[in-house]
Amino acid sequence: MSFRRKLLLLFALLVFVSVAAVTLIVSALARRAFDRTNDDRTQALVAQFRSEFSRRGEEVAHRIQAASSTPEAARMALASAQSSPNYNAFLDDAQIVAEAQRLDFLEFCDDSGTIISSAQWPAKFGYKEPLVNAGPSEALFLKEEETPSGAALGLFAIRATAAADHKLYLIGGIRLDKTFLSTLELPAGMRVMLYENVERNSVFLPTQLISASDSVQDTQKLAPLIEQVQHNPREKSAVIHWNSGPEETVNAFPLFGDKNQLLGVLLVGSSRQVYTELRNQIRSAALLAAGTGLALAVLLSSWAAARVTKPLEQLAGAAREVADGNWTASVEVSSYDEIGDLATSFNQMTRELVDQRERLVQAERVAAWRELARRLAHELKNPLFPLQLTVENLLRAREGDQQHFDETFREGAGTLLTEIANLKNIIARFSDFSRMPQPQFQPVNLNEVMENVSKVYRAQLDRAGISCTCDLQSPGAIAADPDLLQRAISNLVLNAIDAMPQGGTLTLRTRQTQAFVRIEVTDTGTGIKPEDRSRLFTPYYTNKPHGTGLGLAIVQSIVSDHGGKIEAASEPGGGTTFIIELPRNIEKLSVTQGTHV
Amino acid sequence: MMRFSLLLLAVNSLLWSATSFAAERPHYGGTLRIEVRDTWQSLDPVALTSPASKSLSLTVFETLVALDGRGSPQPLLASSWTSEPGNQRWRFQLRSGVSFSDGTPLDAAAVVASLRNSNSEWKVVAAGESVIIETEAPDLFLPATLAEVRHSIVRRNNGGLIGTGPFVIREWTAGKHLTLAANDLYWAGRPFVDVMNVDIGKNDREQMMMLDLGKADVVQVAAENIHRTQADNRELMTSRPAELMALVFASAPQSDDEIHMRNAMAMSIDTAALNDVVMQGGGEPASALLPTWMSGYGFVFRGAQSAGARLQTSSKRNQTWTLSFDNPDPVARVIAQRLALNAHDAGITLDTKGDANIDLRLVRIPLTSSDPHIALAELANALQLPRPKFNDSSVGDLYAAEKNLVDSQRLIPLLHLRVALALRPGIHDMSISPDGNWRLQNAWLAAEKP
Repeated sequence: MSFRRKLLLLFALLVFVSVAAVTLIVSALARRAFDRTNDDRTQALVAQFRSEFSRRGEEVAHRIQAASSTPEAARMALASAQSSPNYNAFLDDAQIVAEAQRLDFLEFCDDSGTIISSAQWPAKFGYKEPLVNAGPSEALFLKEEETPSGAALGLFAIRATAAADHKLYLIGGIRLDKTFLSTLELPAGMRVMLYENVERNSVFLPTQLISASDSVQDTQKLAPLIEQVQHNPREKSAVIHWNSGPEETVNAFPLFGDKNQLLGVLLVGSSRQVYTELRNQIRSAALLAAGTGLALAVLLSSWAAARVTKPLEQLAGAAREVADGNWTASVEVSSYDEIGDLATSFNQMTRELVDQRERLVQAERVAAWRELARRLAHELKNPLFPLQLTVENLLRAREGDQQHFDETFREGAGTLLTEIANLKNIIARFSDFSRMPQPQFQPVNLNEVMENVSKVYRAQLDRAGISCTCDLQSPGAIAADPDLLQRAISNLVLNAIDAMPQGGTLTLRTRQTQAFVRIEVTDTGTGIKPEDRSRLFTPYYTNKPHGTGLGLAIVQSIVSDHGGKIEAASEPGGGTTFIIELPRNIEKLSVTQGTHV
Repeated sequence: MMRFSLLLLAVNSLLWSATSFAAERPHYGGTLRIEVRDTWQSLDPVALTSPASKSLSLTVFETLVALDGRGSPQPLLASSWTSEPGNQRWRFQLRSGVSFSDGTPLDAAAVVASLRNSNSEWKVVAAGESVIIETEAPDLFLPATLAEVRHSIVRRNNGGLIGTGPFVIREWTAGKHLTLAANDLYWAGRPFVDVMNVDIGKNDREQMMMLDLGKADVVQVAAENIHRTQADNRELMTSRPAELMALVFASAPQSDDEIHMRNAMAMSIDTAALNDVVMQGGGEPASALLPTWMSGYGFVFRGAQSAGARLQTSSKRNQTWTLSFDNPDPVARVIAQRLALNAHDAGITLDTKGDANIDLRLVRIPLTSSDPHIALAELANALQLPRPKFNDSSVGDLYAAEKNLVDSQRLIPLLHLRVALALRPGIHDMSISPDGNWRLQNAWLAAEKP
């Protein structure tokens, strides 16, 4: 990953973390404030409900009291006071009185609990009303009342009117329904619902849910909250995410009957639209800030990166040039900070490298001349000594008799001629080495070259007891001088043969990479001593009794002219592998021949 | 002086008696205003089912035979009849001198045409001044059958209906209003009232209001309102229990368990409470199809049912049935609710809100005849039960036929209800037969006092 990208990521991360932290804090504060406000409003509404509950309850009580004063009640009271009461005539009376008193429920019972007349269930005459038998109290209470159309929740009161020694009980009430809920004054964004827990089977029934306003959609979403209250009758709350419309905080309050049974659940819903909008605004602002921050991060990172990476890139480019051989590469020093110091140091380095190279080249040149002079002196010394001796012998023989001189002269002349031939040979080899031709690049099939070499020296290898193995990969196209290449490989093969006087295995191997081809010549000979390895490619260096010591130097020269390199891997007694790496030099084909390979 | 006083006293008495005699004597004229709860859309006797419509129809269209108060056939348009051995071929001699209200004489052809229309299974042929009817099976009770309203003799003429009765149709608005005018050519003598105006489909409250306001002379009184109407000191005319209220099962029981449950259901129903409280004593508890006054043996079923059912209700199981009833009728609704409560005590749930897969129905079926055999056969037909077969006219045979029907466990009789009419004072010679038919032919209106 580039420095610029890392810088960008770092800045972006900083921006995101900052914005996220601020957003979370602000959101949490907003939610807390909203919840506090919501709680206050909910409690106010619940208090209003309780107040309305009491007020309506008192109203019920008044109406029942009024019902007890009606002629119908008087007749029933009179009938109930008889020794054999006959209630046949009162079937419809409870309905009539209930309608007049605007009561949803009204039953007249005698003091044995027998229902004389029932408004909500006329057919129930003659049946027993458990409330009377249980000892009625005059307090208001919530009650689940069975009707022909199912159970209903109502706010009830009981009153009794006396008839001689008997009592006539009036049990009446109003239904807790939509009308009841609609009397509550609801602040904006709030609503109230009532769940009638009349089945009491701990399963939510949508039909039991009453709302003051329009019908509630997605009632199943309230099921978990209501079931929670059913299982554990305490105040609970939940945030409901409706399919349509804003989410809502719903508080559930259990409503208990006279025997502490859970008869209903009051649900107060408070719209979270305001909070949702605020939260969305916070999020939008956060996103905007994040976006802006990101843009700034991009700009900043680009600027900072430009300030840092550009000089570094320049330095890297210059370093690559130096690696490619252009030691005069330099970078512009455009600042006086650490980057400027680095550029200055680089330039200084390249200057010193150039100086050192020149000195090295000079020193190598001097060393090369010295080595050449030494080699020349060494080579020439050998033939010159016999020459000197022969001439001295001739001078001494001339002092003697003519016959002795003639013999000595003939002998000496032969020696002189032989040594002069040696000298000429030596000079010829020097001349050869100095006249190494430049490679003529052309498309070369490297494997063919290797196979040719193998064929040429097949007989010699067989005589020496050496098996030759070719492990040739398809090297692809390369450009080289086939003759020089063959010469180089031949020299390596000859060296390998010399290294395996007792026989062995010679392996010729070719490999390739994208840009290079690799030639390996491996023998199983005696190996190269470490002290010889450094002078392996020095001209005229040899550890063999015969040979000019130029073979490997010629190989190195050919490889170097092809732009490649050669190295030897060897251990004493462990054989030797010469590894040549050549570039493909395809571009040299179009330069030298004007054709594409 | 004494003599003069005595003479004056005699003349005074004479005058008083003459006046009172004049006040009681029927006189012609006036419009009888009738309000009814029933509704009907056609005047054709074959289509009539309600007591009011049938009663009014009989003032326009007469039958060959009429039944008296004891249910015995009496001559009407037929002066006599005979049957051949086997009671499968009957000859009815037509009364002479009878004509339709348009003046057309009543002849055998008209009777044949009418009877063929009312019963396609009979072979009806004219034979001079008589009509011969051949039934598919021996029918001992054919004369009583012919007394039913649907066998009224009607001349159908271009969509119009013409009868031989004391009244003719002057105006008819289906389902709303009927005006009948006196038939001056009536063979038995013109009726006293000139016109009968009948308002149809009025509820009980409307009818009572019209009666109290003096805008109606005769109104129908529902059985459950009989007691209240009496308590309000209104003039009331009631029949004997002439309408059966019953629970009818949709199908025969499929298992012994179901028989037990049906018996348990029957035992659980407090018919006395239904009659005394819901119907306000407007009838009597029923345990048979025919009321006791008609059959003479209704109480026998009550005892048998109780004994049998008590043995079988020891094992209660949860059972749910769907009950249908006439929803707009508040009394039916209360009765259905009461039945549900009673059934609940026996471990049976009656669902009164379901519409599909009805298991039983709460029905009210008026008796169509005061002949118990005809009444039982028509009840079975109306209840969609197998038609009873009678071997003879004995009470034993009747009982056996009725017992078969009751033992089929297809129905639970609940109540026999009365038919009642409230009258404005000054309506005379109007009555209700025991089987609930109104007798309007001889009604007359007292003169209005200035």
